[in-house]
Amino acid sequence: MAMRARQKIRAPRRGLTAGKTDDFETNWGSLSTSLKKIHTKDASDISFELLYRNAYGIVLSNRGSDLYERTKTLEKEWLDSQVKAGVTAAITSSLILAKEQVDVLDQANERRDAGERFLVAIKEAWEDHQLCMGMITDVLMYMDRVLAEHRKPPIYVAAMVLFRDHVLRSPIRADSKTTVYDVLESTVLFMIQLERSGHIIDRPLIRHCIYMLEGLYETIAEEESSKLYLTVFEPAFLEASKKFYQAEGRRLLETGDAATFCNTATERLSEEITRCTDTISLSTESKIKDILDNELIRNNITEVINLEGTGVKTMLDNDRIDVLQSVYVISARVDDKKAPLIAAVQKRIVEMGKEINASAIAASQASILGVGKKSEPNTSGEKKPAEKEKPVNQQTVAAIKWVDDILALKQKFDNIWLNAFQSDQVMQGAISSSFSEFINLSQGSADSRSSEYLSLFFDENLKKGIKGKTDSEVDALLENGITLLRYIKDKDMFEAYYKKHLSRRLLMKRSVSMDAERQMISKMKMEVGNQFTQRLEAMFKDMTISEDLSSGYKQHVRRASDPDQKKIELDINVLTSTMWPLEIMSNVKNDKVQLPCIFPKEIESVKQSFERFYLGKHNGRKLSWQSSMGTADIRATFQRSNGKTQRHELNVSTYAMIILLLFNDVPARGSLTYTEIQERTRIPDHDLIRNLQSLAVAPKTRVLKKEPMSKDVKPTDKFVFNHDFQSPFLKVRIGVVSGSANKVENQDQRKETEKKMGEERGASIEAAIVRIMKQRKKLPHSQLMTEVLTQLSARFVPDVNMIKKRIESLIDREYLERVEEDPPTYGYVA
Amino acid sequence: MSASTSSQPEYVTLVSGDGFEFVVPRSTACVSGTIRRMLDPSSRFSEAISGRCALENISGVVLEKVCEYFCYHQKNKNQTHVPDMDIPPELCLELLMAADYLDT
Repeated sequence: MAMRARQKIRAPRRGLTAGKTDDFETNWGSLSTSLKKIHTKDASDISFELLYRNAYGIVLSNRGSDLYERTKTLEKEWLDSQVKAGVTAAITSSLILAKEQVDVLDQANERRDAGERFLVAIKEAWEDHQLCMGMITDVLMYMDRVLAEHRKPPIYVAAMVLFRDHVLRSPIRADSKTTVYDVLESTVLFMIQLERSGHIIDRPLIRHCIYMLEGLYETIAEEESSKLYLTVFEPAFLEASKKFYQAEGRRLLETGDAATFCNTATERLSEEITRCTDTISLSTESKIKDILDNELIRNNITEVINLEGTGVKTMLDNDRIDVLQSVYVISARVDDKKAPLIAAVQKRIVEMGKEINASAIAASQASILGVGKKSEPNTSGEKKPAEKEKPVNQQTVAAIKWVDDILALKQKFDNIWLNAFQSDQVMQGAISSSFSEFINLSQGSADSRSSEYLSLFFDENLKKGIKGKTDSEVDALLENGITLLRYIKDKDMFEAYYKKHLSRRLLMKRSVSMDAERQMISKMKMEVGNQFTQRLEAMFKDMTISEDLSSGYKQHVRRASDPDQKKIELDINVLTSTMWPLEIMSNVKNDKVQLPCIFPKEIESVKQSFERFYLGKHNGRKLSWQSSMGTADIRATFQRSNGKTQRHELNVSTYAMIILLLFNDVPARGSLTYTEIQERTRIPDHDLIRNLQSLAVAPKTRVLKKEPMSKDVKPTDKFVFNHDFQSPFLKVRIGVVSGSANKVENQDQRKETEKKMGEERGASIEAAIVRIMKQRKKLPHSQLMTEVLTQLSARFVPDVNMIKKRIESLIDREYLERVEEDPPTYGYVA
Repeated sequence: MSASTSSQPEYVTLVSGDGFEFVVPRSTACVSGTIRRMLDPSSRFSEAISGRCALENISGVVLEKVCEYFCYHQKNKNQTHVPDMDIPPELCLELLMAADYLDT
């Protein structure tokens, strides 16, 4: 490097422009001829190098801006004279006239052909211009480079501006105000219109014209937002689309078919999206979607959903999942809440639910009439017990049918929700609330039996329904029931019924599977909470303890066995009185204390022995015997008139056992009257009649003979032990007439249940109030109300008046005090 | 030149003002913006058709150096720590002018 540094840098031997004249005019002359040749596509014999060197020379000799202006003028003249003429020549009168809609078909065809020719002309003019300007820009590249420092737009941009002004914005005729662009716009819109009405158009052609509009800008700065497409064409297109879809919406509504509307709307949507990708510009997609959403869907969706005969109601009825889905999709487009759709669905659910309610009530009323009639035909005697039970159970059947119907309805809507509504959360909430609405519709009035029905449903299934079903089926069945439980607001009511039914199942050992019972309890626990199932679980616990107790007692008897005592086996259930349903436990009926019935002495001794055993274990407890709930197996010997003896094992209720044991002490063929039996046993009238009916009237289990023979048991009737009793089986089960089956309550029972319910609720409300006040010490009335309501809503919906009364009563009893009058505030009295 | 012996099937000929011809791969020649435009097939100038670019105002000595630079540029594209190219000082000015002309 050091050696070289001494060398001189010599001036170039020959300047690059040496040997060339600096004459601008000469250079421009040859350049302009070549540029024109480029325009006429005759460039193949022109040397790029020559042109470039020419332009380079001009720029080097500081005539760059002159070159720029000359080129511009040349372009302007070319566009004005040649290009514009070519384009305007393609404009026919039909294109100018037809600014308005042309509906006549041949006219439309004519216009379409003319339009296509025109579009082709424009497209070609534009593409030629682009290509030529590309070449010219290449040639004049050096000029652009130098002039960029003088803040002139590149020649290409300048030429595009020229094209815009001298072709697109030039009037088509000297005396006309219509510009070429106006014709272009109306033609393109016309084409799109044609396509919307089902014709096939030349999409790529339009696409090219749109490209042109996208390539041209309002300003020379060429900002994105100043594209001619965005500034001029798009608004026009959107406006035209808006009009079109307003008209379309009206037209579709007039045809009055919701399904068509939805399908069309869906199709139009995808059509417009395709149009944006294939025919016009992608950037318009969201805008045209908005137009569709607003004009076609939002403005019409409510009417469509409520269309008579084809709307959502009909779709739901006919399970039109596909249509519902498109209704859902288009509703979801315009409205997150989908209010009209939800309203329609909810309305239909409630309607259908009410129908189910009504039919259940109708069925149960019909069966009440049936019960009234029942006694008459049966006087003739020989009717099968199964048939005899039927009318009684009709209400139960109605109840179970009600649950099944609702489950079917729920299933239907779950299906729709899953398949048509894309598992939408909002829709699910709406559907659930509608179910809850009609299930609780007449809560508190005499018609509402949802809690009872549901409990009966479980009862029926746990007793019979789940026989022979797999675990998963049972699970699904119970799960369904639980779903309905979720909708029931007055859960305490359900608890009461369930408890009653459960106790019957447990004591009578009617339950098919204890596993299923426990499963049910745990499901309820998950659904409603610990508090709810506490007592139910306690019932199960009592049952287990009782089993241990019974076996313990048996061992005790065996150890201290008394040889002369007759062997009587005792299985006993010791129940905690607060946990089990009241009506079973109470000895009080019709405000009259019922004396315990008199047991035969054999039984009495067993009873006393057990009492001693039990109280020995648990001191201080009180045992009260519920003879109405038990059963007994006794062995009866029948002495036939021919001297033979026949033994049968009879499975009877405790009362029936007591009655039958009476006949042990009666001399052979002796009789007892009804009053005698009652005096000796002190069995309550109601139970006695029922038991005697099953022993003496029911045809297959006539262990006693009654005189006179009739259906009803009267106090004067006489009963004789029937030695001629016949049965094909060794073991005979004698059920108590209409005693054990769980069925729908009659009006009186309902009233009683409701009364009890009311008391229980009152207690719960008081407990809640006291709990809250103890914690807060001082609370305004309205706040106390809300807190009580939220605390209790898991179990039932408390009546506001009831809460007020309870507050009053607590104040009277000095648990609370009024602290202030305005706003009314209470204080807790410790 | 190594470039002239290249096995690239597509090559172009660069002709200097005093008649020297340099055959170089098309991609190599296109390092120059001017030559690239000259050879752009869509514009259909005579050079694009014939694949022969006569560069009237560049001498053979300079054009040889230019071609050397084209190769050097292509070889060392996207690389760091590239050794300097050897440029004889007497050619400096002419090379600069050629660079301006060729938009390199």
